[in-house]
Amino acid sequence: MMKMIGFFGMGIFLLLFPFIFTLPFPQHIMIMIFVYATLAQAWNILGGYTGQCSLGHAVFFGCGAYTSSLLLIQFGLNPWLGMLAGAILAVGLSLLVAIPCFRLAGHYFAIATIAIGEICQIGMVNWKGGGGANGLYLPILEEGFLNLEFHNTKVPYYYIALGIAAITFAAVFFLERSFLGYYFRAIKGDLDASRAVGIHVARYKTVALGISAFFTSIAGTFYSQYVLFIDPESVLPLMLSVLISLVAILGGVATVWGPFLGAAVLIPLSEFTRTYLGGRGTAVDLMIYGFLIILIARFQPTGLMGLLKKR
Amino acid sequence: MLTTDIILQTFISGLLMGCIYALVAVGLCLIWGLMEIVNFAHGQFMMLAMFLSFWMYTLFGVDPLLSLPLGGLCLFIIGVATYYLIIKGILYTTFFAQIFATFGLGVFLHSAAQFLWTANYRSVQNPLLAGRVAVGNIFIGFPQVGAAIMCILGFLFLYWLINKTEIGLALQAASEDREAASLMGINSNRIFALGWGIGSACVGIAGVLLTNFFYIFPEVGFTFALIAYVAVALGGFGSIVGSFLAGVIIGLVEAFAGLFIDPAFKYFSIYVLYIVVVFFRPQGLWGRY
Amino acid sequence: MRRRTIVLAGIFVMALGILSPSVQAQPKEVLIGGIWPLTGPNAPTGVECTQGATLAMEIINGKYDLNLPLAKTEGLPNLGGAKLKLVFGDHQNVPDKAMAEAERLITQEKVMALIGCYISGVTAPASQAAERRKVVFLDADAIAPTLIKRGFKYFFRVTQDDEIWFRDFMWTRFIPEVLKKKGGSIKNVAVLHENTLWGTDASKYGTEYAKKNGFNIVTQIAYPARSTSLTAEVQKLKMVEKQTDMLLSACYTADGILLMKSFHEMDYNPPMIWNDGGYREPAFLEALGKKSEFILQRDEFSVDMGERKLLVKQVNDLFRKRFGVDMNTNSSRNFMGVICLADAINRAGSTDSEAIRKALLATQIPPEQCICSWDGIQFDPNNGQNIKAVSLMLQVHENKWRLVWPFDVAVKDLAYPIPKWSARP
Repeated sequence: MMKMIGFFGMGIFLLLFPFIFTLPFPQHIMIMIFVYATLAQAWNILGGYTGQCSLGHAVFFGCGAYTSSLLLIQFGLNPWLGMLAGAILAVGLSLLVAIPCFRLAGHYFAIATIAIGEICQIGMVNWKGGGGANGLYLPILEEGFLNLEFHNTKVPYYYIALGIAAITFAAVFFLERSFLGYYFRAIKGDLDASRAVGIHVARYKTVALGISAFFTSIAGTFYSQYVLFIDPESVLPLMLSVLISLVAILGGVATVWGPFLGAAVLIPLSEFTRTYLGGRGTAVDLMIYGFLIILIARFQPTGLMGLLKKR
Repeated sequence: MLTTDIILQTFISGLLMGCIYALVAVGLCLIWGLMEIVNFAHGQFMMLAMFLSFWMYTLFGVDPLLSLPLGGLCLFIIGVATYYLIIKGILYTTFFAQIFATFGLGVFLHSAAQFLWTANYRSVQNPLLAGRVAVGNIFIGFPQVGAAIMCILGFLFLYWLINKTEIGLALQAASEDREAASLMGINSNRIFALGWGIGSACVGIAGVLLTNFFYIFPEVGFTFALIAYVAVALGGFGSIVGSFLAGVIIGLVEAFAGLFIDPAFKYFSIYVLYIVVVFFRPQGLWGRY
Repeated sequence: MRRRTIVLAGIFVMALGILSPSVQAQPKEVLIGGIWPLTGPNAPTGVECTQGATLAMEIINGKYDLNLPLAKTEGLPNLGGAKLKLVFGDHQNVPDKAMAEAERLITQEKVMALIGCYISGVTAPASQAAERRKVVFLDADAIAPTLIKRGFKYFFRVTQDDEIWFRDFMWTRFIPEVLKKKGGSIKNVAVLHENTLWGTDASKYGTEYAKKNGFNIVTQIAYPARSTSLTAEVQKLKMVEKQTDMLLSACYTADGILLMKSFHEMDYNPPMIWNDGGYREPAFLEALGKKSEFILQRDEFSVDMGERKLLVKQVNDLFRKRFGVDMNTNSSRNFMGVICLADAINRAGSTDSEAIRKALLATQIPPEQCICSWDGIQFDPNNGQNIKAVSLMLQVHENKWRLVWPFDVAVKDLAYPIPKWSARP
C-alpha cells in the first residue's frame, strides 16, 4: 500500500516537475537523468539480469545517434523514423558483436566489448562520410513534436525523455516476469546448469544483447536531437560505456528501479560537484566523485536498491 | 620508399615499445591471475610512479635510473595499501562492485594528481639515458633501449620469483585454490597483498622508465593501461609469460600497422587483432581456461 | 527509520544537484560567463584562458593608466560604474555539458554575455545554446571555420579563422615573403596532423589552399592524439624526407614533445617545421630544451611585441606579477575578448542582449588598443568574424618563442632553412 502511494506520488511529481521548476538547468538535469536511466536500464538487461558485463555499450548509443542524424542530414528523413532505423541497425550490430564476444565470459567478455567500442570510435573518427572528427551538426528544423526539435523550451524534450525511460522500464518490468527473464537469470546464476536444462545459452545471451541494443540506440537518437551536435568523442567514448554500467551497478543490478535510482543520484552528484566545486581547474569535484564510487563499491555493493531493501 | 632499413627500424621501435607495454601487462596479469580482480587503476599507478620520478629529478636532481628502486618500492607499498584498504573488503562481493572499486580509485587518483600538481605537462629534461645510437641507417634511442632492457630483466626476475621461489609457489597455489592454500598454512591476505604489491611495483618500474622519454601528466596512464588490458586478455589471464609476449606483439603490431596501413589506425589494428585472436582462441594465446 | 532517512537524504542530494546555487545578481554588477575546459587534458589551457579573462576584469574594474578601453575608469562608466564579474564554467570537453553550462550561466547566474570554449567541437553547442536564447557569445580561441558558417546572429569571434589564414596569408604572403628574403625554394609540403576536429580542419584547409597556389602535398598523415609512440608517423615522414621542403603540422603540446624527440632520435630534418599553433604551453619549451629550436608557429601574441608596443609590455608585466608567467596567445586572446565585450556593453549603456549585440557590431577597437597581433577589432556583420584579425609567426630561438614575422615587426631573424640535427650544438 505504501509502495503504491509512493509510486503514484513520484509519478505525479515527475509529470509536474517542469511546471514546478521552470529554469532550464534543472530540467536539463532531469532529462539527462532520464537518458542515463534508459541507458542503464537497457544495459541492465544484459549486464544485470544475464550477467554479462558489457563495457562497450556506447557503440549502440552512437549507432542510434549517427544513424538518425546521417539519415536526417543526407535524406531529410524524419528523426522518429531515423530512430527506428537506428534501433534496427543497432540490433543488427549487436548480432555481429555477439559472434566473437559470446564465446567469452567474465573479464574476457568485458575487454572484448571495450575493444569493439574502441574499434567503432576510431572507425567513426576516420570516416569522413560520417563527419569524421568534425562531427555532425544537425540541421535546425522548425520546432515541433514531429521534427523532434524544440528551441525555446526544454519541456517537450523532458516529456519525451520521460516517455522513453518509462517505456524502457515497462519493457524490463515485463521482461523480468517473462520466460526470457527466467532464462536470463538462469544464465547469470549458473551457466552450465542452464545448458543442462536445455537453455540455449548463446541464443538467449544474444536476445538479451539485442533488446539492450534496441533501447540504447533509441536514447542515442534522442540525445542527438537534443544537443544537435554529435561527434565520436561525445557518443562513442569508453567513458560513456563505463558511466552507463556505473549507473546501473550503483543503482543495483537486476532490479527494475536500480537504474533510475543510480541515475537520480549519480547525475545530479556529478553536476553538483562540477558546478559547485569545479570551475577552478583543481579537479576537486572528480576527486569526490571517485571517492564516493569507492565507498559505494566497498560498503554497498548491491547498490542503492540494496540499501533500500534492508530493513 | 619502403626499404629494408625502414622495416627493420619499425621492427626495433615496435619491439622496444612493446617491452614496456609488456611489463605493465605483467603487473596487471599478476593481480588478475591471483584473485581474478582487474585493477582498473593500473594506469594511475603508473602515473604516480612517473610523477615520483619527476619530483625526484626536479627537487633532488635524482636521475630516473636511480629512482627505479624507489619507484618500485613506493608502488609496492601503494599496491599493498590498496589491497588492505579497498580490495580486501570487496573480495567476496559481486563482480561489478569489484570493477568499480578500482575504477573509482583510478578516478580519485588522477583527479588528486591534477589537484596536487596541476594538469600541466611535465618532463625529465636531461636524463642519463639520453641520445641515440646509429647502427647503419637505423636509429635506436638510448632511453627506449634502456627501458626495454630493464623491462625484460624485470620480467625475468619476476618469472624466477613466481616459479622458483617459495613465495612464488605460494602465490601460484593461492591463485589456483584459495581455500586449499590456506589449509596449507598460506595466509591468503598476506599473499594477496603481496601479489598486489608486486604487480604494482612492475607498473611502477615501467612508469619510471617511461619518464626517460615520455611526458608526464595526470591522465598519462589511460592509453598505456588500455593497451595493457588488451595485452593481458590477448596473452591469456593467468599466464605472465603470455602477457609479456602479448605486450611485445602489440608493440610490433602498432608499429607495423602505422607503417603499412595508416598511423590513424594503429590502435584500431590492435583491437581488431585482439578480436580475431580471441574469436579463435577465447582463452587468449597462452591462457589456461 | 533508517530507510526513510536514506531516502530523504537521497532526495536532498538530488535536489541540491538540480537546484545548484545561483548567485544573486546585484544591480551594480555586470556578469560575463566563461566556459572552458578546467579538468581533463586541456585543463592547463583552460586555466590560461581564465587568467587572461581575469586580468582584463581587474583592469576594467580598477583604475589603470593603460591605452585600453575602460582601463582608466573604474567599472563601466555608462552603467553607473558597475563592476564586471566573471563566472566560470567547466565543460570537461563534453558537448552536452557545454550546452548545459551555457544555459545555466544564462538562466541561473544571469550572465549578460558568454565567452569560450577553446575546443571548437564544444564551442559549437555552447554557442548554439546562447543563440537559442539570444545571448551574445564571443569566441576568442576556437578557430574552426564551421563556427562562422552557421548564420548565427549572436556569435562573434575575435581570433583569426583557420581557413582565412590558409586562404589569404599562408601560401600567398608568408611563404613567398620568406623565400624572397632567405632564398631557397618550397614546392613540396609534408602534412602531419592529429586526428581531432582542429587538426583535421587545419590539414584540410592547409592542403586545399596549398594545392590552389601550386604547392605539392607529398604526404598527409593523421595520427591519434596523445599516442604512446610516434615513431611510425616519423617513419612515414622519413620515407619522403628527400622531397620534403617543409613540414606543416597541427599538433598539441603533448604530442609535440614526443614528436620533436622522435625527430631528433630518428634524424628527421625538414628545412622548415611549421605548426598551426598548438605548442603554446610553457611545458613544451621546458620539456624539449634544445630540441624545440627553430620550430615555427602561428600565434596571435608575442611578448616580443612589447619591444615596439608599450601596451603589450605593460599588460604582460601586470600578468606576470599576478600569475607568475608571461602571457601567451591563449591568455591574451581571452583578455582582449573580455575587453571587447565590456567595451560593447559599456557603449550599449545597458545589459539588454539586443543592445549589446548592436554595440558589438559597431565595435571599432584600433590596433593600438589591442595586445594581440590584430589590426584592430571589427566584426563582419554577416558572420561575426573579426575581419581585422591577423596572425604572427613565432620561432623558437634559444628555447624562447621569438617574433620573426611579419618582418617589419620581427625582433629576430627568421631561420630558414633550419640546420640539421647533426649540425646543431
